[in-house]
Amino acid sequence: MRPKPHDALNRWLAAERADRFEDADAALREMFEALPLLAPAAGFADRVFARAGLQPVKRDVFASLGLRLVLAASLIALSLGAIWLPPVLRALGGLVSLSDVVGLGVRAVAGASRGLALVLRLGEWLFSLGRFLSDLLMAPQAMAALAACILVSVLAFRFLRDQIFGERSLTYVDPM
Amino acid sequence: MKSDAELVASTLRGSQDAFRELVVRFERPVYSLVQRMVQNPATAEDLAQEVFLKAYRRLDTYDPQWKFSSWLFKIAHNTTIDHLRRGVPETVPLESEDEDHGDLSAVLADVATESPHAAAERRDLGRSLELALAHLRPEYRVAVVMFYAQGASYQEICEVTGLPLGTVKTNLHRARKELAQVMTSLGWGPGGVAASETAKA
Repeated sequence: MRPKPHDALNRWLAAERADRFEDADAALREMFEALPLLAPAAGFADRVFARAGLQPVKRDVFASLGLRLVLAASLIALSLGAIWLPPVLRALGGLVSLSDVVGLGVRAVAGASRGLALVLRLGEWLFSLGRFLSDLLMAPQAMAALAACILVSVLAFRFLRDQIFGERSLTYVDPM
Repeated sequence: MKSDAELVASTLRGSQDAFRELVVRFERPVYSLVQRMVQNPATAEDLAQEVFLKAYRRLDTYDPQWKFSSWLFKIAHNTTIDHLRRGVPETVPLESEDEDHGDLSAVLADVATESPHAAAERRDLGRSLELALAHLRPEYRVAVVMFYAQGASYQEICEVTGLPLGTVKTNLHRARKELAQVMTSLGWGPGGVAASETAKA
């Protein structure tokens, strides 16, 4: 909780009136302590550097000892990985036979074919639906209904436009 | 954390990082001193930059036997007094005082941690204090800011201002009396107009 400068102010002024100088000193110092230091705008050091003609300090990313250690450890781990990778692959190769691999490939192709057949069936269904709707719209009754809808829309649009422009006054009115 | 003297030595060896550290470490107290002397954030910013430039250029003359802060404040004091003696007309910043980051009253009104009422009280008191400080002579002002606001000792003020100890004590005593008179005339103190108005607000 921040101290209240008003309490210190009152104590200071009271001490000053009573000529209690030590108390006045203490209270005034306390009052200033309750008020924070003023601060320049952010980036003050950059502005000083710019005015002094000094280059802003460029941070070297690799200057950190910790980062260098982590990078070195990563490189060592990578090298070890590269050394151990061929034997590990060979060991894994021993576990899997050629027939297993061929069987896996055949199963994958069969699965992909089933998926493709499903997609084709869905496409065919959508095509049939589109065809049914287009046949329906090509009927004389549907065409008449469509034409009527378009006509009503045009009339409604025209009515609205008349309403909007009819209420707007184009006469200039002097605001004075 | 490196000491001021170590940072100075590093700067003299060519380390810009060390000088940046010094600037960051002392930007607030130097700016605070200068701002309370000139009562204008833009001028204070300009003068505070000048202080650090002078310090950078004369760093080889710094004697590590002395406190670096005293040496820096001496430069700040001399730069500000020179500016005040030149009588350069102050320019008024375009921004509202309340919105200015460098303004005392704006800093006091820290709404994030205070109620609006408390913030308004601090703002009012900050304005009055600025006004009262502006009434003081420059040598009184620097003594008040250093001694009360920055907690400097009599000895440090003597080093910075170049005045004898007795004069510094007398200046402080008179400055405090004058400050109290101005604050009272502005309505502060027990039962004062400003205090009661703030209480009503």
